[in-house]
This record gives sequence, structure tokens and C-alpha cells, in this order.
Amino acid sequence: MSIFRQATSRMRCLKTMRVLQEYLDGHLDEVSSRRVALHLEECRRCGLEASVYSEIKAALRRKERPVDPDTLDRLRRFGEALAVGNATPGEIRENGV
Amino acid sequence: MRERARGFQYPVVEGPEIDIAHAAFANYVLPEVEVLARVALSITRNSADAEDLVQETLLNAFRAIDRFDGRYPRAWLLTILRNTEAKRHRRRRPQLLHDADQAEREAQVEPSLDSEAPDAIVIGKEFDTVVGECLSMIPEDHRAVVELVDIDGLSYAEAAEALGVPVGTIMSRLHRARARMRQRLTAAGLAPKRSM
Repeated sequence: MSIFRQATSRMRCLKTMRVLQEYLDGHLDEVSSRRVALHLEECRRCGLEASVYSEIKAALRRKERPVDPDTLDRLRRFGEALAVGNATPGEIRENGV
Repeated sequence: MRERARGFQYPVVEGPEIDIAHAAFANYVLPEVEVLARVALSITRNSADAEDLVQETLLNAFRAIDRFDGRYPRAWLLTILRNTEAKRHRRRRPQLLHDADQAEREAQVEPSLDSEAPDAIVIGKEFDTVVGECLSMIPEDHRAVVELVDIDGLSYAEAAEALGVPVGTIMSRLHRARARMRQRLTAAGLAPKRSM
């Protein structure tokens, strides 16, 4: 590989690493996302790096704690009581609950 | 029929106006109760405190619903939740000041594990355990960001609203926390070394 091609390739790797987290979080624009996806397919090192972070994200997703159903039910009922109650926002502002 | 409280004159509000406020609350706020409960749990780390915080947030949202313009209800509610928590926190522990610098210093501590790094990722129970352990060891500021974005599924902007920090701070804390997890995984022999 020529020095020029090596330098270009390394530059692409650096650019990809700079935006990798945003790419994995779905916060990158469409054009940049396509560019990153293409590079990750072509470059083994960057592809592996992306896989490690994807697995970290997946491991964290598995830690999702469901909100206790009874707590959620109480909170929903509390909200619904406000939504259908007789008190207006102004009254609650002035007088509390 | 409403009773008139002693010394308090109920304001004269026409029926349709009451309905608009109540309908807005039902449309914008009620669908977000579960998200609020998750975020409250991530912030307070205690289910009883989280429930109190969401109740207070709902009440504060109801008080302000007639002044809400209907745009980005989740962001609006997350701001209310954050302000409500800040007020509760001041009431509970007024002497504790937030030390972001200390959190940054703690985040820089290198992991002490030292295993042979593999050529590929070793996915399994141990991988999840190391990620979990690392999550519990990172500074609270960083952990909250990881929990809000990676576990609760908030966007960067929503997490920024919930914590009252700029989006750039969310990104840097998130990246730093994940890099630390990545380092630990390498040290534990579950991920390859970074090659660049």
C-alpha cells in the first residue's frame, strides 16, 4: 500500500472513531452514517471496535429495570385523577393540593 | 359541586377552559408517566424516592399545563422533573455540593485488572458482569448519563434536559464511561486491545 493510501486510510479510521459513539446511538445524520457504515465494513480494526461498543450497549440494555407494576399503576392513577379532577391548574398553583 | 374553602375564592373559569387544561394534561403528560418513573429511578436510585419525585413532578406539570405550548412534552416534563428533584435535594441535603471535578478525577482512575487481551470479543455472562461492575464504579454523574441513554433509552437531548447539563456534556460523559467499560473488558480478557 502506498504511503498516500495508508495516510488516507488512517485518516478515515480517525474520522470514524471520532463519531463512532454518535453513530451507534443513532445521532449521526444520514450521509455521515452511510459513510461510517461503509468504513466499518471495509476496515477490520474499526469494525471490531464498533462491535465491542455495540456489545457494551447491548449488555447495558439487558440491565433495563422494569418499573414495579404496582408503583406504575399508582402513579398512573394519580395522574388520571389530576386529568379528570375538578381542580384547575390555577387553583392548585394558588392553594396546593 | 365544589365547596368554597374558608378565605379562598375559587377563580371563575369557564368549562371549556378547564377542559382544555385537563385534556392537555391527559394528552401530553399521562403517556410519559412510565418514562418519568424510569428516569426518576435512575436519578434517585431508590424506588420510594422515585415514586415521590414522579408524583411531585406530575403535580408541578399540572400546575403549569395551561402555560405549556404543546411542543416537546417529554423534554418539558424532564425539565420539571429535574427542577423538582433539585428542590427536593436542597430540602434533604443542603450541605452537599455537586463536585463535578471530583467526578472527573474519579473517572480517570485506571482499572487494575490485568489479563491477556483476546483477539475477539468474548460475549457471555462474564461480559455483562464486567459491564455491570464498571457501571457501579464510575462516578454518579457519569453513571446517570449511561443509565438514562443506554438503559432508559433517552436521546442525548432528553438526557440533557433530565440532568440540566449541555448535550456536549452528556456526550463526553457517555463516551468516557463507555471507554472505561471497554478498558475493563480488555483487562478482563473479554475484548481485544484497541489497535489505534
